[in-house]
Amino acid sequence: MFADNWKISLRQIRRLFIMDIFGMSSLMLPGILSSMTGADGIFCLLIGAIAGAVLLWLVGANLKHIKQDYYGYMKETAGQLLGDIFMVFYFLYFVSLCGYVLNQVTMLILTWLLPEGSWTGVSILLLLLGVYGSMRGIEGRARVYEIIFWFLGIPLLVMLFFAIQEVNTSYWTPIVASGGIQLFGGSTAVLIFLLPFTALLFLKPFCKKPEKMVSSAGNALFTVIFLNMLIYLILVGVFGQNTMGILERPIITLMGMVNLPGGFFTRQDVLMTAVWFFTLFALFNTGIFQGTLILKELCQQSENRWILVAVATAAFFIGKGFYQYSFLTEVFEIYQSQVALPGMFFILVVLLFLHWMKTSRNVQRGGNT
Amino acid sequence: MPIQVTQDLKKNIENFEELFSDCADIKKRNIKVGQNLERECFIAYIEVAVSNVDWKDSAVGKFLGKLRTMPEEQLVSYVRDNVEDISDSQPFDTIEDAAQGMLAGDVLFFLDGYGKALKIPDKGYPGRGVYETESEKVIRGSNEGFSESIKLNTALIRKRLRSPHVKVKESFAGRRTHTNVDLVYMKDLIHPKMLEEIENRLSEFEIDGALDSGIVEQLTEKRKYSPFPQFQTTQRPDRAAMAILEGRIVLLSDNSPVALILPATYNTFIQTSDDYYSRWEIASFTRALRYLASILAMVFPGLYLAMTNFHTQILPTDLLLSLAAARQGVPFPAMVEVILMEIAFELLREAGVRLPGANGNTIGIVGGLIIGQAAVDANIVSPIVVIVVALTALCSFAIPNEEFATAFRILKFLFIFLCGSMGFFGFLVGFLAVLIHLSHLESFGIPYLAPFVGAELNGYRDERDTFLRLPLDFLKKRPVYTREGARTRLKFKGSREKKL
Repeated sequence: MFADNWKISLRQIRRLFIMDIFGMSSLMLPGILSSMTGADGIFCLLIGAIAGAVLLWLVGANLKHIKQDYYGYMKETAGQLLGDIFMVFYFLYFVSLCGYVLNQVTMLILTWLLPEGSWTGVSILLLLLGVYGSMRGIEGRARVYEIIFWFLGIPLLVMLFFAIQEVNTSYWTPIVASGGIQLFGGSTAVLIFLLPFTALLFLKPFCKKPEKMVSSAGNALFTVIFLNMLIYLILVGVFGQNTMGILERPIITLMGMVNLPGGFFTRQDVLMTAVWFFTLFALFNTGIFQGTLILKELCQQSENRWILVAVATAAFFIGKGFYQYSFLTEVFEIYQSQVALPGMFFILVVLLFLHWMKTSRNVQRGGNT
Repeated sequence: MPIQVTQDLKKNIENFEELFSDCADIKKRNIKVGQNLERECFIAYIEVAVSNVDWKDSAVGKFLGKLRTMPEEQLVSYVRDNVEDISDSQPFDTIEDAAQGMLAGDVLFFLDGYGKALKIPDKGYPGRGVYETESEKVIRGSNEGFSESIKLNTALIRKRLRSPHVKVKESFAGRRTHTNVDLVYMKDLIHPKMLEEIENRLSEFEIDGALDSGIVEQLTEKRKYSPFPQFQTTQRPDRAAMAILEGRIVLLSDNSPVALILPATYNTFIQTSDDYYSRWEIASFTRALRYLASILAMVFPGLYLAMTNFHTQILPTDLLLSLAAARQGVPFPAMVEVILMEIAFELLREAGVRLPGANGNTIGIVGGLIIGQAAVDANIVSPIVVIVVALTALCSFAIPNEEFATAFRILKFLFIFLCGSMGFFGFLVGFLAVLIHLSHLESFGIPYLAPFVGAELNGYRDERDTFLRLPLDFLKKRPVYTREGARTRLKFKGSREKKL
């Protein structure tokens, strides 16, 4: 009647992407950037944001040509075979990301909240929640993050506000001390964390105002980068560049150190873990949803719920692999930087080029006749 | 096959007698009418439902008195031409329909030579009248409450909404009870599809008896396994009238003082009628308190367990030591202790509800003070747990709707289990599961979490009446339940119009 479980608003898209991107990036980027570039990590965030904007521009340029769905557009533009190959590429990206995030969120729980818990038990619980969350369409999922946005945002901003008092600005120097390669590496790392924005390509049929999707995602990009820069400056200012490189999840450590006025709670890190639990879960859920969506289209089984179960099961085993074999994490990082990242750009550029070729050929034919 | 009413009175009486044989409560009388008392008529009614003591003052008495002054040959034409159209009288062609008319509490009239049965209204079934509501108390506003008579209830709504746009659509539920079910709505405000939907759902079942609106509610709800109600209930006519003004539909069921309102959302369950009668500051403060109460009623005991069993580092050392000291000597693990106390509290609550008035209050004192104190003295439970359980109970009482509060009371046990076994992670899992469930839930197409979600449907204006109730000047538009184009609720005139 009013609610349509397969249509989401621009605010929902914005909040969904903020949650998706913020969790992993704020948890992992400070450590990576600090060890690579020191205080110059802030520039990496800026350069990465510009590259992210280019990625979004490419996504937007392709979105304009999508008539119904992305798969249809790919087949129409690049042919059935290339379309299928591209879909498999996206499927592998989202499912592997899903497994990776499942391992990350499970490890977060085991480290900070449930040290005596079992990896399998925690991850299965999360998996069940993920499947339940994806069962009733995208809107149900988007609503969760729409409502939880300020519940997480306000405490986080309050904590960051009080953390500013602990900042020692002398730690922000030396600045512009990193070489071009380090800066490039850091910016690439930032861009890798922005790759889930490509999920936007698949969301056109689900958006109430598809023409404004990219600006909504751009808004999310701006918010995420702003928050990450703020967090990075605070973390460097509190821990110093060297210490930060050692810490596994510096942002959560920071949450445990902030002194709130009144001093009732002595260690807020446990409570603030909720922010990263929900944001990582959002990305994990996006992986499940996207993986399911792509597989359903590839198999032409739009109503088959077993596909959701299959994707979740695959994510579980991938996550288990990351947990048991640490070299797989390194493989994944190489895959992200050397396959997924260039692949995403390549597909978008190729599709645009092929579409342009096709259109100009049609215009020529039209002119000749 | 329905039996037709004929012009032959004897045959009609025979058919009627056959239908109502062995019914001692139904009074049947043969009366002679006409100037010369030569024409026979027959009346039937349910004993207590008709004012049989003072016939002269009742509509039936006056009608029969008039028939006794008329020539016999004019009686049929008089009844056909004059009586059929007056007041609430209604002619029936079949004996079965006529019987249903009589069972509604009116008098049934047959006249020899007249081929129809006539229902003549009288006082109807006995009822309580208008009393103060026992639930949904308010500080400011009307104290009138719905009663068991559906006619009285519709009249109480009409009294507040004197507009021809208010429509009352009547239907029946219950094959054997033939219970009146009325849908009351404002025709120019509702979404027609919503009306269509509830009518469809009402027609989708046939039950032998619908003795209360609760039965209709359960049979028309879509998500049966959800602990959250998908209809809002109220015993207050002003609340129902307010809902109708918002473009919602009120469902009244005969013999039930509880009206159902659809659609319902989390926000509507938290709202009370005096939120709008009081100034916005106090309304907003109490509203925010109720929101907080709804969450604490579900998670507070669980959070206590998570903090004390798993994450003691959060709490200051002094508090931690006093908590540990309070638990010294208690033989049960904290989770068992909390479950025992919660079950004891639920038992007290149930006993208090079932016992008659004054005794019910005594149970509260006996349970709360005497048993609670004795349990603490005997070291069965710690005083902290008594405080936690009492605070949780307070929170659940602060939720204005009983059915809605019950959902949180049930979920509280889930949180106790999750937090007691997994600490704060259990809390996060439970909270996320409830949130996902609520996000999936809808009531007649409206998201249950509206307007926190899907607020764009009404230009984000509905968010002005959620955690905070902004001044009425800001609430110029009706909520999303109202059809588009009819959402203006408040307009200013003259100089105020320019100012705003």
